[in-house]
Amino acid sequence: MSWLPFAHALAARQDLPIPAWLFAWGASIVLIVSFFALSVGWREPRFERDRWRPLGAGLSRALLGLPAQILCGAVGVFLLGVAVYAGLRGTEAPDRNFALTFLFVTCWLGFPLFSVLLGDVFRPFNPWRAIGRLVGGGLTRLAGQPPAHFAYPERLGRWPAAIGLVAFVWLEIVYGVSGGVSVGLSPHAAGVAALVYSAYTLTMMALFGTEKWCRNGEVFSVYFGMFSQLGSFAVEDGRLGRRRPLAAATSWATTPGSAAVVIASIATTSFDGASEGAFLSALEWTFERFTDADLGLTLALRLTDTIFIGLCAAGVALIYLIGVWGMSTVDGAPPLRKLWSGFAHTLIPIAFAYLVAHYFSLFVFQEQAQFTYLLSDPLGTGSTDLFGTASSGINFQLLSANAIWYVQVAALVIGHVVALTLAHDRATAYWGDYRQAARSQYWMLAVMVAFTCFGLYLLSVSNA
Amino acid sequence: MNPPTKILIVLLALVTSVALAACGSSDDDSTREATATSTTRKATPEKPKTTEIVVRNGEPVGGMQELEYSAGDEVAFSVRSDVADEIHVHGYDLSKDVKAGGSVSFSFPAEIEGIFEIELEQRGTQIAELRVNP
Repeated sequence: MSWLPFAHALAARQDLPIPAWLFAWGASIVLIVSFFALSVGWREPRFERDRWRPLGAGLSRALLGLPAQILCGAVGVFLLGVAVYAGLRGTEAPDRNFALTFLFVTCWLGFPLFSVLLGDVFRPFNPWRAIGRLVGGGLTRLAGQPPAHFAYPERLGRWPAAIGLVAFVWLEIVYGVSGGVSVGLSPHAAGVAALVYSAYTLTMMALFGTEKWCRNGEVFSVYFGMFSQLGSFAVEDGRLGRRRPLAAATSWATTPGSAAVVIASIATTSFDGASEGAFLSALEWTFERFTDADLGLTLALRLTDTIFIGLCAAGVALIYLIGVWGMSTVDGAPPLRKLWSGFAHTLIPIAFAYLVAHYFSLFVFQEQAQFTYLLSDPLGTGSTDLFGTASSGINFQLLSANAIWYVQVAALVIGHVVALTLAHDRATAYWGDYRQAARSQYWMLAVMVAFTCFGLYLLSVSNA
Repeated sequence: MNPPTKILIVLLALVTSVALAACGSSDDDSTREATATSTTRKATPEKPKTTEIVVRNGEPVGGMQELEYSAGDEVAFSVRSDVADEIHVHGYDLSKDVKAGGSVSFSFPAEIEGIFEIELEQRGTQIAELRVNP
């Protein structure tokens, strides 16, 4: 019996754990940077306004005009269709089927990366939004007025997306079980899940309105949109523009449930990383208790994983809560509730760093498969060779173990610095008095150091 | 001493101890691994010593075997099996059929770094893990 990280089902290799000396260096740099950060703090908030400036009108028209919208929407719907078809009709070998790599690597890992670099690129390609807008537009034309929707309960905020995010990762890592061994999701199950999610999303869009649901409940819009807040490109009032990097994030978490989304992201990545090493013996112990209780192998394994994902979420939330509680004890602090949502955006860079640290090599290697044999032979049955690349393979020598280690550690350290920057900036906005603001940040510093060192620790634990 | 300074000192002490503990334990791991695999590694420079993996009833005898090499070494192992199957080295993507009661041997340069599965392809049972360190 063994626990295998998600990457396992697709990739033929796993990362080596980072060596002890690199762990020590990484942790030392994190500490030095953190203490340095305390001494250089600026006194006026710099990121509270994003200073958005439009780029050329021609560029906006070309990229955002109706033809581009229709084209992007059609591409999104087409690719979702290909993924579903490949999942349902293609091979059950996870690494040879277009569906799994496309959904769980190209989209799930690619969109966060490109959202940070280029802005909210998922929005134009979102297949459900495209369908929702098409149907909505058609109904408006038929009835002569926009269709009526239920009022979205604002108190729910982004909670549906946070729960959906955990459900997605649960499906990805926990659901696929065979004889007490986690084997990953099968392509067929992924195809069915995509259809079920489509039906659910389109229903919700019909009930509450397409854009409303994309802002609050549509898992991928909310999740990828969260990462786009860190970057500098954004569309406002139908025009493409540039803004101060990181600044948009400061207003992201005002919607209820936003903290839950970012906590869910860190917790699920942690679980995937820890299940192969740090949590292995605890997982095995729990699994044995459940099998002793005659629960059956499949149920016992799923139950064990589910409990540990829950524990990860509780642990991440608790660390953040301690930081928030600590800040609330500093003189002149806003109420706990305001602090909880007010600092949630400072965890986005940590969530992004975790993603890069855990999935960077998988992304680089698996995208070679995506753009060669999975594109030419999406079903993996050997029956098609659309682009003549069906027999290509993955070049695993593209990245050396050292290169992967440096990227992993660099991602965590940079994420740490960006998180500290955002937290410090928010504190100067919340506390008029600079000395109190600085005092509150000892707590957030502790939170960030905890997350970053835990991230380093996960990378350093042997997955043997 | 004012409270922030105290918090800082506690924090520093905490993190340093965690870092030291983690480093200490990883050092232990690496020495343990080194001794466990010294049979394969120390003997390699001149004549590669071949590790034999024995498969009985479709399972590796003594549990999943660990093969550890440094990049550039010659990986050499053989599989003796009482069941017919295909031995697949992932990543390097090498496969050889083995007959029931037969034996196959592999020998190839360790040129891809990382951790790879060696499995009985048809049964989907992992019999060994190949580690290639930089």
